[in-house]
Amino acid sequence: MEQQFSRDIASLERAFGFIDEFAEREGLDDSVKNSVYLAVDELFTNMVKYQPANANDITIALEREAELLTIRLIDHDVEPFDITERKDPDLPASLDERKPGGLGIYLTKKAVDTITYDYRDRTSIITLTKRLRRNDV
Amino acid sequence: MFDIRLGDRGEVVLSGRFDAAQVEKAKSVLDTLGTTTEVDFKNLQYISSAGLGVLMATQKRLKDAGHELKLRNVSGHIRDVFTIARFDLIFDIK
Repeated sequence: MEQQFSRDIASLERAFGFIDEFAEREGLDDSVKNSVYLAVDELFTNMVKYQPANANDITIALEREAELLTIRLIDHDVEPFDITERKDPDLPASLDERKPGGLGIYLTKKAVDTITYDYRDRTSIITLTKRLRRNDV
Repeated sequence: MFDIRLGDRGEVVLSGRFDAAQVEKAKSVLDTLGTTTEVDFKNLQYISSAGLGVLMATQKRLKDAGHELKLRNVSGHIRDVFTIARFDLIFDIK
């Protein structure tokens, strides 16, 4: 399943509806659905935040092949931003030392099994995979 | 659908999905808090890093004044996210 979403945080509501439809069709449980919410929410929000002037829609694609779930976000006519090169944030015990930001990509990494970044023809393609366990469906 | 309201005991009650689009709505309630307050997560289905950021900013503001947020009825996905973000180090979570 694939759908285009306008570059606006308000599009998240429709993106969640798209995920709900996919999860229902594939019989995914809430735990997997929340992982997909998280990945799409964090990456979509980054794309909106860091490329606000871009008029192009963002494409979200969800696929399941046997026990492998693939989530793909495609952003056209953008500068490269390889999220796989981002360092994990420090998470100190002191509240004063905590810095805002950096958690989104870190949580996304933890929610899926693999993340790959491709950049060609000024298009960013982020592909995430998650292997489903027997009790996930 | 996300909702945030004050309960009968002055606690903050969350429900639905706390995603990046809900930050202003959440702040409209959390910014009014001026004392130690429980936040009930029982009916919250989902939280993103944007939600964590709002909670953390509120915790910083309250701690500076000698108060805190206490996170209650945390389970499932929300607990997993709090564990990964090491919120156990900076919040009282039950």
